[in-house]
Amino acid sequence: MVKRLLAAGAMALGLSAFAQTQIEFWTYYLSPNFDNYIKSTIADFEKANPTIKVKWVDKQDTMERDLTASIALGKAPDVVNLWQDSTFAGAQNGILLPITQVVPRGLLDQLYYPNVLDIFTVEGQVYGLPWYGWLDQGVMMYNPDLFAKAGVDIRSIKNTDDLLAVSEKIKKATGAYGWLPPVKDPNGASFLGRFFLEGLSIYDKDGKANFNSPAHVALLQKYVDAMKNDVIPQELLRKEAFQLSNELYSQGKSAIIVGAPTSLNRVKEANPDLYKKTKIASAPLGKAGIQTGGAMDLVIPKASKNQAAAARFALFITNRANQVKFANVVPIVCTAKGCESDPGLKAKSDDPLEIGKGMNSSSGRLINPGFKPPKNTDDIYKNFNDNIEAAFLGKKSAKQALDDAVAFWNANAK
Amino acid sequence: MKRQAWTTTLAAYAFLAPALVLMGLFTFYPVLYGAYLGFTEYTAANLGSGEPPRWVGGQNFALVLRDPLFQIGILNSLKYLVVVPILQIASLAVAVLVNRKLPFMAFFRAGYYIPVITSISLAAVMWEWIFQKDGLLNWSLRLIGFFNQGGQFNWLLNEHTALWAIMLVTFWRGFGYCMVLYLAGLQAIPGELEEAATLDGASPWQRFWRIIVPLMRPTILLCSLLSTIAAIRVLEEILVFTGGTGGPLNSTYTALLYVYNKSLGLDFNYGVASAAGLLIALVGFGLSYLNFRITREDRGER
Repeated sequence: MVKRLLAAGAMALGLSAFAQTQIEFWTYYLSPNFDNYIKSTIADFEKANPTIKVKWVDKQDTMERDLTASIALGKAPDVVNLWQDSTFAGAQNGILLPITQVVPRGLLDQLYYPNVLDIFTVEGQVYGLPWYGWLDQGVMMYNPDLFAKAGVDIRSIKNTDDLLAVSEKIKKATGAYGWLPPVKDPNGASFLGRFFLEGLSIYDKDGKANFNSPAHVALLQKYVDAMKNDVIPQELLRKEAFQLSNELYSQGKSAIIVGAPTSLNRVKEANPDLYKKTKIASAPLGKAGIQTGGAMDLVIPKASKNQAAAARFALFITNRANQVKFANVVPIVCTAKGCESDPGLKAKSDDPLEIGKGMNSSSGRLINPGFKPPKNTDDIYKNFNDNIEAAFLGKKSAKQALDDAVAFWNANAK
Repeated sequence: MKRQAWTTTLAAYAFLAPALVLMGLFTFYPVLYGAYLGFTEYTAANLGSGEPPRWVGGQNFALVLRDPLFQIGILNSLKYLVVVPILQIASLAVAVLVNRKLPFMAFFRAGYYIPVITSISLAAVMWEWIFQKDGLLNWSLRLIGFFNQGGQFNWLLNEHTALWAIMLVTFWRGFGYCMVLYLAGLQAIPGELEEAATLDGASPWQRFWRIIVPLMRPTILLCSLLSTIAAIRVLEEILVFTGGTGGPLNSTYTALLYVYNKSLGLDFNYGVASAAGLLIALVGFGLSYLNFRITREDRGER
C-alpha cells in the first residue's frame, strides 16, 4: 500500500521530468543558528536530485509582507516556511496551493500525524506539509531549591489547578513566582487555550462562539484573582509568557517553566548553575488531559512556477529522518509518523536538556491545535485579548468581558 | 535669457535629474499608488487570484473613520504631539548651554547624542527596568516622598501612564538629534552680533530672545516639523514596549499601529490600510501647515 502511494506520489510529482530547475526556499528565523543543518539538508537533497537547485533565503519578522510583495511582483518563492495562523490566513486569501494538488492525500496520511495535518487543513484542503511542532505544555522544568524552600513536593502537582495552588505557596514562602501561564500573548488568543485545556468549549455545534458560560467565567475569574493577588505577575499582560518565564526563571525570580525544553538553552546561557540544578517532570495538564500545541509547515504559493519540484523538496525536508536530525540540533517536536519510537530521539545522557528533548521531541502525536482560528482572525483576537485584559486590569467583570468578546466574535467572524 | 544663463539652468536640471528620477520611482510613485489603493478593495485575495484592485470610492475611508480603533489611534497620535514643544524647548536650551568653549563640552555633546544612535530594542530593555514596579522611577519617586511602597505600579501597565512613559522614551531618543541641529544653527550665528549686543548692555535673556531665537527660526521650523511628523507616525516604540498590542486597554494604540496591523498583520487589507495612511498623511499636512503659520506669525509676516 505504502509503495503504491509513494509510486503515485512520484508520478504526481513528475520525478523524472525535471530539467535543471532552481527553486527558492524561504525559512523563518532559522539563520544563523541552524545554517549548518539547513545547508547540509539542502546539499543532501541536491545530491539526490541533481536536476534541482535550491536557493535558500531566511526571512525574519518581514516574512508575511515579503511573501505578499513577492507574489505581487511576480517573483513568488517556491517553498515557504509558515506557521498555522499564517497558513490559515494565506489559504483563506487564496495565495497558497492546496498541497493535495501536488502530493496525493494518501501519501500525506502515511507520512504525518493526522492531528498535525489537521492543523493545516482549511475548509477540507491541506495547505502545508507539517515540518516541526511545539507543545504549549511540553514539559515542566523547575527549580528544586525554591520548591524545597516553599515545602512543596513536585508529586503534588497533578493538574493546572495544583500548579496555581503551588505557585501561591511558592510566592508566599519565597517571594518568587511559580508558574507563569500565557494569558494574553500578543500573537494569538492565549486564554482560549486555557478554556480548551480545561475541557471548556470555544464554539457550539453551529460554529458560534460560546465561551461565556458560568464555567468559563469562573475559570477566567480564578486567573484574574491570581494576578490580583500577585500569584502571577501583571507583566504577563505585556510580554509573552515564555519570554517572561525565561527571564524570571533565570534570575531565580520564578520557580517553574512549563513549555518546550528549548527554554533551557537560555537558562543554560544566563545562569549555568541554576541550569545544572533544574529538574524535569511531565507537564501537568488541565481537566481535558490534553497537550495543546502547534506546528510550522512548508507551503507552496499558488504563484510558484516550480510547484512539482517544490513539493518534492518540501517532502524531503519534512521527512522523518530529516526531522529527527533537526530534533537533535534543537528540541523541536517531530511531526512525522513513527517519531514516537524513533531511536534517534532517545535521551543520550542525564543532562536536563537531553531528558527534556527526548520527552518532548517524540510527542508529536499529542499536539492538539484545539480549535481553528476564526475568519477575520486579527480583529477577533484583538477584541478577545482586549476584553481579557480589561478583566485582568479590573475594568470589566469576568462575565462582562467574556459576554462582550462572544458578542463581537459572533458579529464579526465572517 | 542670455546663453550663459540657459547653460547654467540646463546644467542645474541635468544634475537634479538623476535624483528626481529616483525620487519619482521610489517616492512619488509609491505615494500616488498608495493614495489610489485607498480608494480600492485590495487584499491578499487579490494577490492570490491575480485580480487588480477594485475601485470602491470612499468606502474604505468611511470604514476607517467609523472604526473605534482608528479613532483611539488618531487621538493617541495627537496626544503624542505633546512631546514636540517640550522637545524643542529642551533641546534648544541644552544646545545653548553646550555651545560654549568650556572643558568637557565635547563630552556633553556626545553624551546627549548617544540615545539617537541607541537601538530601540536596547533602549527598551533599559527603560523597562526604569518603568517596572520595583524599577528606578518608582524608587526615585519614593525617595523624594512622592509615594510609598504600596502606591507603586508598573508605568507601562497603567492605562493612564503608559502613553506618557513611552513619550518620555521618544523624547529621550529625539532630544540629541534636535540638539545637534540647534547646535549647528547656533554656530552659524555670527559671534559679532552677540558681542555687539553685550556691549550695548543686553542681558543674556535679551540676547537669547532678540538675537538667537529670531536667527534660529529656520532651524526651529525644521526641528518642529520633523518632530511633529515623527510624533504623528510613531510606531517603533509602541511595537517594542507593548508587543504590538497598543495596550494596556489600547491606551498606546496609535494611528500608524492601525495601518501596520491592517496591512502587515494577518488582515492583509491594503485598501483599508492605505485609506488610513492617507488620513494620517492629511493630519500630518495640516499640522505642518500649522507649523509654517506659527513660524510666519512669529516673524510678523502676516
